[in-house]
Amino acid sequence: MSEKIFIAQGELTAMLERLSKEMDVWVPVEMGDEKWGIRFLPYHEDTIVVLDRQSTISPKNVVFPQVETLLRFRYQKDDNDPSKQRIDLKDRQDVSSALVFGARPCDVRGFHTFDQVFLNGRYKDPYYEQRREKTLFATLLCDTKDSACFCSSVGSGPGDREGSDLWIVPVDDGYVIQALNDKGRKLIPIMGKQATTEQIEKAQRIQEQVTAKRIGEYDLTRSARDFTDRFEDMDYWRDMVSKCISCGICTFVCPTCYCFNITDESRDLEGERIRSWDSCMFYHYTLEASGHNPRPEKFERYRNRVGHKFSYFPDTYSGMISCCGCGRCIRSCPVSIDIRRVVHHLKEAVDAEV
Amino acid sequence: MVNSKEESTTKKDLLIVGFLCNWCSYGGADTAGVCRFNQPTDLRIIRIPCTGRMDPLFVVKALIYGADGVLVSGCHPKDCHYNEGNFYARRRLEVLKQFLPFMGIHTDRFRYSWVSSSEGRLWQQVVTEFSETIHGLGPNPGVHGESDAKAGMSFYT
Amino acid sequence: MEDKTKTLQREFLKVFEKLEVVLGWEPGYDSLHATPSFIRQAKDLNKLVWNPLCSQNLCTYLVKTLNASVRKDDKKIGICVKGCDSRSLVALIQEKFITRETFYIVGIPCEGTVDWRRLMRIEPSLKDVQKVDIQGNELEVETAQKTYRFPLQQVLEQRCLHCRYPNPIIYDCLIGEPITPHIGDDQAYGDIEKIEQYSLPDRLKFWEKELDRCIRCYACRNACPLCVCRDSCIAETRTPKWLSQRCDLKEKFFYHMIHAIHLAGRCTECGECERVCPMEIPVTLIKKKLNQIVKDLLDYEAGIDPQKQPPLLTFDPGEKGI
Repeated sequence: MSEKIFIAQGELTAMLERLSKEMDVWVPVEMGDEKWGIRFLPYHEDTIVVLDRQSTISPKNVVFPQVETLLRFRYQKDDNDPSKQRIDLKDRQDVSSALVFGARPCDVRGFHTFDQVFLNGRYKDPYYEQRREKTLFATLLCDTKDSACFCSSVGSGPGDREGSDLWIVPVDDGYVIQALNDKGRKLIPIMGKQATTEQIEKAQRIQEQVTAKRIGEYDLTRSARDFTDRFEDMDYWRDMVSKCISCGICTFVCPTCYCFNITDESRDLEGERIRSWDSCMFYHYTLEASGHNPRPEKFERYRNRVGHKFSYFPDTYSGMISCCGCGRCIRSCPVSIDIRRVVHHLKEAVDAEV
Repeated sequence: MVNSKEESTTKKDLLIVGFLCNWCSYGGADTAGVCRFNQPTDLRIIRIPCTGRMDPLFVVKALIYGADGVLVSGCHPKDCHYNEGNFYARRRLEVLKQFLPFMGIHTDRFRYSWVSSSEGRLWQQVVTEFSETIHGLGPNPGVHGESDAKAGMSFYT
Repeated sequence: MEDKTKTLQREFLKVFEKLEVVLGWEPGYDSLHATPSFIRQAKDLNKLVWNPLCSQNLCTYLVKTLNASVRKDDKKIGICVKGCDSRSLVALIQEKFITRETFYIVGIPCEGTVDWRRLMRIEPSLKDVQKVDIQGNELEVETAQKTYRFPLQQVLEQRCLHCRYPNPIIYDCLIGEPITPHIGDDQAYGDIEKIEQYSLPDRLKFWEKELDRCIRCYACRNACPLCVCRDSCIAETRTPKWLSQRCDLKEKFFYHMIHAIHLAGRCTECGECERVCPMEIPVTLIKKKLNQIVKDLLDYEAGIDPQKQPPLLTFDPGEKGI
């Protein structure tokens, strides 16, 4: 039995319908009428799937939700001794399995970063682990680059299949879908009929063409030393990021940003401990209980973001940089800060640029 | 018809939050109590130093997080204990009152009034009227979104 | 006629020795984006540009980045303002965050700035753009291959479609001729009237749907020139705790109410909050509604008269109509 199937454009909805009976199927949909942006939402009837452009916000929230309840608690007064309280704890709940359909290679690559932090260290994060294991990625060969894309600059590319379970190649009037591992293979029978040899060959040609493309002009993979050399150069950082407004867009749309906050949110005698996205761009991110803040200025915070992705992370995880080149932080930035430029110029001063 | 209306007004207590200024309306409510005037039971009173302390966001927060009505009451204008607190409040609260319907919140769920500490009778009237209005409107539908489910609200809703 | 970009550069060059820094725009990461520019050396002045892509309101930086109220020497800050930006500047002067004398203001009458998302919707394949300009009622986009024309109504930012103040209110130097607003005062609130036609439950549904997309990145707040609490915004402080870290609609809804109500009678309708929103939530509408109420009730518009005091910071004992 071949592992490659073909889905005509018109059959896509029916296929997603079938899949959504098995698991939560997350698909890219428009933000609203007459809006340009895309986000991933669970498929339901009437969902219009949009595959022609990258989502505004990465699908990282499927595996790493913006807010996750770690546990719930409730205090109970002891009737016999009012000074005593009992605490009831409820553990996390099981999550259902999910498929992210139509993610891009860069979106999936983001989880490499997550895996290093949450799975491959001394401790495994059970919340992340559970969702990660139960989530499949059907990734779309990406042939829609724009001026903010730079996946090849960080060692990936538009045809990067690593980390995906299923691989989708758009051909003329449909998609050739192929399983890349056993997890993906299980879904193939539900998805559709076998592709013809012509379709497979065509998909192969497209795959080769797109894979050969290089997206992004710089090579940003070896900037760790340049960053540490440039660390103290305040003028450089002020010059590069004076215009930053210190919002959280870049970190929230980023497929690799994994920083979080843990807070107890309670009212009266009950509440929950939640883990929520945090952003190193926020003043409160490093604010210490004493009132001291080691990164009070926004250029220090931005410097940290660059350093984390291109220097500290590779230092800790054998050279791997935690940027997938999706370009979302550039595209969505209210003031168009270009991280490629910031990293590229670490080596040589901006003045060298004409 | 008559029965069902009676049921809704008598059976279910709704939650009305009252922000009363320490010097006038809180005293007014006290006077009403001392005089043993009948009052509806669904008002929960929060004492504030002056209506000038009244952040319009108190009202908004109460309405978003489940109150069915919010009543703010203080000294009559030109009678403020601090001379001018309620002059500020008057502008802010009126702007808020006109603004709420734009967000889909019924303007009658919020009311502000001026009741002095001697006006026990007036207080009874204000609070009874307001309570009737809120019962007429029924429970506050609140705000709900798809993101609620993901946010783990189990103990709250 | 000289290119406005050139005039702009020349005007700043004339007075540059008296300036500490010039805030303007320079080309962004691609030909459809401009980015704010902080010019500290005269030789960099040639980076400055003016075109319909210069959408950022530079007044955002005055209180939050430059701390413009504190000046070491008598050098001024040079700043480029569009009509709407100048209102923010006036509003900051009104609230005494900055003083007029601190600034050398170059005003630019503005016919509107481009919403690149709307542009991409109409023409997703647009690339190699070389020039973007407004000609009459059309946006002209020159690419390497051909010249596109788009009706302004379809590609301008929402804020520009209802703009009544295309001309800077205050300036030391004006680039180009003042222009006539596209719309009259009676149409200024056309966009909020559309929402008001909905029934009350439908309005609630509308806002529930829109605000539910919010990811609480706080870009709307940080881009706002009048949000001056800097790092002490009550949306983030844990003491007092107004909001939790949850991300359900109640929190998002309330966050936007905080932003709006803190801007009641202060918002200058520069529309930055809406422009920067990655989730494309029409948050400016909320602030505009408050503005309309303040206008009708207290006859006040923010950022018009530097001498006037914002009405919610003052009172009138003989108030009529309340």
